[in-house]
Amino acid sequence: MQVLESLLDNFKTELNSIQKIADLLNLKSKYIGKQGPLADVMKNIKDATPEEKRTLGSKANELKNTIEALVSAKMLELETEEINQSLLKNKVDFSLTDTVLDKGLQAAGLHPVTIIQQEIEDIFISMGFEVLDGPHIEDEFHNFEALNIPATHPARDMQDTFWFADKKHLLRTHTSTIQVRGMKERKPPFRFVGPGKVFRCERTDASHEMVFHQLEGMMVGENVSVGNLIYFMKTLLTEIFKKEVEVRLRPGFFPFVEPGFELDIKCLICGGKGCSVCKHVGWVELLPCGMVHPNVLKAGGIDPEKNNGFAFGLGLDRLVMMRYGIDDIRHLHSGDLRFNSQFKTF
Amino acid sequence: MLISLNWIKDFVDLPELSPKELGSLFTLATAEVEDVIVKGDSLKSILCVEIKSLKPHPEADKLNLVTFDYGGGNLKEVVCGAPNVRVGLKVPYAAIGTTLPNGMTLEPKKIRGILSDGMLCSETELGLGEGKGGLMELGSDVKPGTPLPEYLKLESDIIFDVDNKSLTHRPDLWGYLGLAREFAANHKKPLKNRFNQEWEKKIEGQFNKALPPVTLDISQDSSCLAYYGLSLDIPKMGETPTLIKTRLESVGLRPINLIVDISNYVMVELGIPNHIFDRTKIAGEKISVRHAEKDLKFQTLDLQMRDLNPSDTVIFDTEKPLVLAGLMGGLESGVTPDSTKLFLEVANWEAHEVRKTSVRLGLRTDSSQRYEKTLDSNLCYRTLLRIVDLISELCPGTTSVGGPVKFVREDKLSKAITLNISHKEIVSSLGMEIPKEQIIDIFSRLDFKVNDNNSVFEVTVPTYRTTKDISCKADLIEEIGRMIGYDNITPVSPMLAVKPVRLSAVKQFHRKIQDFMVLQGKSLQIMTYPLTGADLLTKAMWPVMNEHLVLVNSLSVEQDRMRPSIIPSVLEMVSQNQKHYDAFSFFELGRSYLDYEKERSQLVIGLFSKDQTRFLELVNTIEKLFSALNVSVNLGPKNEKFPNPVVPSQWAGVHPDEFLNVQVMGKYCGALTTVHPLVLKNFKMKGFLSLAVIDLTDIEAREVKDKTKYSPISKFPSSSCDFTVVMSKDAPAAGVITALNSLKQKEIKSKAIVDVFIMNETQKAVSIRTVFEDSEKTLSAETIKDLEHKIVQALDKAGFPLRS
Repeated sequence: MQVLESLLDNFKTELNSIQKIADLLNLKSKYIGKQGPLADVMKNIKDATPEEKRTLGSKANELKNTIEALVSAKMLELETEEINQSLLKNKVDFSLTDTVLDKGLQAAGLHPVTIIQQEIEDIFISMGFEVLDGPHIEDEFHNFEALNIPATHPARDMQDTFWFADKKHLLRTHTSTIQVRGMKERKPPFRFVGPGKVFRCERTDASHEMVFHQLEGMMVGENVSVGNLIYFMKTLLTEIFKKEVEVRLRPGFFPFVEPGFELDIKCLICGGKGCSVCKHVGWVELLPCGMVHPNVLKAGGIDPEKNNGFAFGLGLDRLVMMRYGIDDIRHLHSGDLRFNSQFKTF
Repeated sequence: MLISLNWIKDFVDLPELSPKELGSLFTLATAEVEDVIVKGDSLKSILCVEIKSLKPHPEADKLNLVTFDYGGGNLKEVVCGAPNVRVGLKVPYAAIGTTLPNGMTLEPKKIRGILSDGMLCSETELGLGEGKGGLMELGSDVKPGTPLPEYLKLESDIIFDVDNKSLTHRPDLWGYLGLAREFAANHKKPLKNRFNQEWEKKIEGQFNKALPPVTLDISQDSSCLAYYGLSLDIPKMGETPTLIKTRLESVGLRPINLIVDISNYVMVELGIPNHIFDRTKIAGEKISVRHAEKDLKFQTLDLQMRDLNPSDTVIFDTEKPLVLAGLMGGLESGVTPDSTKLFLEVANWEAHEVRKTSVRLGLRTDSSQRYEKTLDSNLCYRTLLRIVDLISELCPGTTSVGGPVKFVREDKLSKAITLNISHKEIVSSLGMEIPKEQIIDIFSRLDFKVNDNNSVFEVTVPTYRTTKDISCKADLIEEIGRMIGYDNITPVSPMLAVKPVRLSAVKQFHRKIQDFMVLQGKSLQIMTYPLTGADLLTKAMWPVMNEHLVLVNSLSVEQDRMRPSIIPSVLEMVSQNQKHYDAFSFFELGRSYLDYEKERSQLVIGLFSKDQTRFLELVNTIEKLFSALNVSVNLGPKNEKFPNPVVPSQWAGVHPDEFLNVQVMGKYCGALTTVHPLVLKNFKMKGFLSLAVIDLTDIEAREVKDKTKYSPISKFPSSSCDFTVVMSKDAPAAGVITALNSLKQKEIKSKAIVDVFIMNETQKAVSIRTVFEDSEKTLSAETIKDLEHKIVQALDKAGFPLRS
C-alpha cells in the first residue's frame, strides 16, 4: 500500500521537471508501462490475501487512472507550449495596415455628387417618382421654346447659354429639358425627377461653376395643387436634412411655371435669427418651383384643361457643399484625388 | 431696384409695422426684399454744438482741448485735431456710445493722457459726403443742442432693395404708382391715385390752340409703338426742391438740373421713361423716327461714341441723330440750366428691339431696363401730363406752345383682356378653400374688374398688366395665391394609385458599375469637365479634334468644345495627381460627344503606378466587372481589319504590347491599354498608366437577364490530375487553357494553371491541374485514363508537348 503512495509521489516529482513531449512519454511508460512498478505490483498481487487483493487492485487501478490523467494534462500543456513557440516565431506585424503604409493612395469611394444624387433619387423613388435623364447637347426647342421662353423673352438673358456654331444647338442650361422629353413620352398621371449636368456660360469662382448639377422634378395629373407641391418639397427636405425643416414659399418668376415660387428654408445654421450664411435674413433660398405653365403642358402634348402639375428644380452641388462643408465648388470637377479621397462612405 | 417708402406714402397709408415686417410682407406677396435700409436714423443722436474755448493739449502740438456748449449752456470738453477748429464755430458732436454711419461706436478713450468726452465730426465721419476736410462747419444761425437731422432737414426713410430680376415680369412695378398698388393690396389699404380724369382735364386746360412748332415723322417699320410730344416754354429754370433731390438720391439717381430731375422723377413715379429736349437744338423743328443708316456714329450723353447699325431705332431732327430710342439721349440736344424752350417726349418702344440694341452696345440705362419689360403705350399720355403738371408747379409762368402731337400704333396697343375662371378652379389649384368674397376683393384691389356669374368669375385685366404678364387662368390663380400668402396653404399628400416604381435599367446598370468599381475595383470615382480644348487634345495626341462641336461663346480656349473622349481629360487629371501620389486607382462614368444627338456613355478606369505596370490587374478588373454585370465580353488582341471606334489604332497612346480590344455582342466597344510613354512624356509623367475605356451606350440600352443558374453539387468523389507542358517562353501561358476549351468533355469540371517555370532562354514549363467529376456516378479508372489521354492529345495538337 505504501509502495503505491510513494509511487505516486515519485511520479509527481518527476513529472514536474518534464519539459519535452518525448520525456513525458518515457515517464508514462516508466510508471505504467509493462515493465513499470505498477505492473510489478499487479504481478505480485497473486500472493496477497483476497481481502488485500480487492483493495490493492482497486487502488492500483485508481493510481493508473490518476497518472494517465496527469500525463494527458501535461501533454496538452506541452503541446500548446510547443505550438505557441512556433507561432511566435512567425509573427506578422499587424500594425502595418494600409493606413500606415506608403502604398500609394488606397482610398476608394463614390464622388460626393453621386452620393447625394443617389440619396435624393432614392427618396423620390420611394415616393413613386421615376428617374430620367436626357442629352447635354440640346436644341432651342427643348431648352427654351417648349418651356415658354420665346426668342424675344428677357428670361433668355438670365441664362447664359453656351451655343454651338449652327446657332440651333446649345448646352442645356437647366434640367428642365428633361421635363419636355418626359412629358412627351408619358400619359398623365405621372411623376418623375431628372438629375444631371447643366452648363452656364459663367465666369467661375468659389461658388460659381460653368458645369454643375441640377435635379428637376415634375408631377402631372388631375387636380394637382400647390398644397401637393408644398407637401412633396417639405417631405423631401425633411428626408435630406434628417430633421423637420421650416419652409416658406414666396412669389418667384420663371417662365415655365405659373404661379412660380422660390422655396426658402429657415436657415439651419442660425435657426432663423440671421447669420452670414443666410445673409442675415434668416432664410436660405433653396429651390425654385411652381405650377407647370399651361404652355409648357401643351408643348409636352398634355391638355392643360384636363391636367395640371407642379415642377421644381434643385441645385445638387449646393446640397453637396452644405452637407460636407465644401468651400469651393470647383473641386467637384477637378479630379483632384486629394479632394475625392475624402469621400469613402456609402 | 431701390424702393423708398416715403415716396410710396404719397399713394398709400402704410400700417404701423416695423421695417422688417413690412419687408417680409412684400417678400411673401410680391418680390423678395433683399435688404431693408433705414436712412437718416443713424444721425439722430448727433447734436449741433458751439465751440466756446480752446487750449493746446499739454502733450501734443497738433491737438487742442476744446470746450463747447451742447445746449442750454452745458459744457463738455473733447480732444480735437482738426485744423479748422476755432472759437464760435458751430459743428456736429457725437457723444460716447454713439454709433457712426461707418459702424464705429465711440468708446471712452484717452488721447495722449486726456479723456475725450466724445468727438466733433467731419462730413466724412457722418456719411454726408467728402466735405472740405476738417470739422463740418454748420451755419451760425443754429442753436446749440439742435439734433443734426433736424437742422439739415434730413428725412428718415426706409428703403427696400429688391432684385431687378424678380420684377422681370412686372413692368407695372417699375414705377411707384404701380408699387403703391401692391402695397395697398397687400395691406388692404385704399390706393390714393390722384391722376384721375379730373386731374387730366385740369392739365389739359393749360394747352393752347397754337400750332405745335415741332412735327412728327415716324416710320412704321421702326420700333416705335407710341410717341407723344409737347412744346413748353418756361421763364427760367429754378433750383430743384430738396424733396425731389432727396427722393432721386434715395433711389440712386443723381440730381442734375430741375428739368432733368423732373424727367427722372416722373419716370420713377409712373414707370414710363421720357426725354426732354432743348427745343432750340432740334434742327428744322422736326422729329423723325427711323432705323439708323449704316455706319452711323452717335455720341450719347455719357460721352461715348456709339457705332449704330440699321437694326437700331433712332430719333433724328432734320440734320442729326438726337436720341438712341429707348436707351439714351445725345450729348447735343439735352437741356442745360439755360434752356427755356422745351420739347417733352414720352414714347414707347418694342421691348425686344431695345434689348437687342442694349445688349449689342453693352449699354443698360434706367430707361432701357423699363422698356425691356414691355410697357403699356396707354400710359404715355398720363406721363406727359404729369411732366407738364410738375414743370408748371415748379416753374411758375410756364406756357405750352400748342397741344400734344402724337403717334400711336393702334394695332400693337395693349388691350384689356377678360378671362373666365371658376371658383372651383382657383380652390383646387391652390389646394385651399377661399371664400368667393375674398377672391373678388383681391381682384378689385389689384384693379381687375370682376363679375361673379354663378361662381364663374369674369375677370377683366387692365392694359398695363397684359403687355407681358397676364394672359391665362394660371396667371389669375397666382394673383390670388400670392395675396392669400402661399404660406397659409396646408401641405397635403395627393390621393394616388399605388404603383411600383424602380430605377430604370440604365440607372441600375450605372449604379452597379459604380458600386463594383468602389468595392471590388477599390477605386475613386472622379468627374472631369465634359468640355475640352484643342491644346489638351493635341497634347494627348488624340486623333479627333471635334471641330464641329466648338462653342461660339466659350469662356476660354481650354474649354471651347465638347470632348470626343474622356481619355484626354483623364490624362490631364493623372498628371496632376501623380505629383501627390505614387499609385492610385480611379474611374469616371461620364459622356463623350461625337456629334449633335450623338452623346455616348463612356466608362474610363485608370490604374496608375510609378513603379510597375498594372495592366494585368486592369484585365482582371474588367473580366470581373463584366461577369458581375452579367454581360459576356471578349478581350482580344489588336485587329487591323476591324478598327476600334473607342480607341482609334492611330492614337499614339496605344501600347505595342499591353493592349486588348473589348468586344461585346460581336462589336468592338472599347479597349484596354497601357498608355504609351510617348504620350505620358507630353504630360511630364513618369510611370505606368493603364486605362480601360468602354463605350457603354449599346450595352446599357438592352435588357440584361440574370442567367445565373444553380447546378447541384455532385455526391460523387472527384479526382484531379496534373500535366506539365513545354512552350515557347514568350507565348501566353493561358494558351494551354484555350487549347483545352475545345475539349467538350462534361467530366472535366475545371482546369487551371498551377505553376509557370522558366526552363531556359527559349522555353518555359506550364503545369495545369484538371479536376474530373461526374454528377451521376463515381468515375471509373478507365474513364479517367481516357480523359487524361484526350487532354494530352489536345495539348499536343495545340503545340504544347508534355514535358518529358
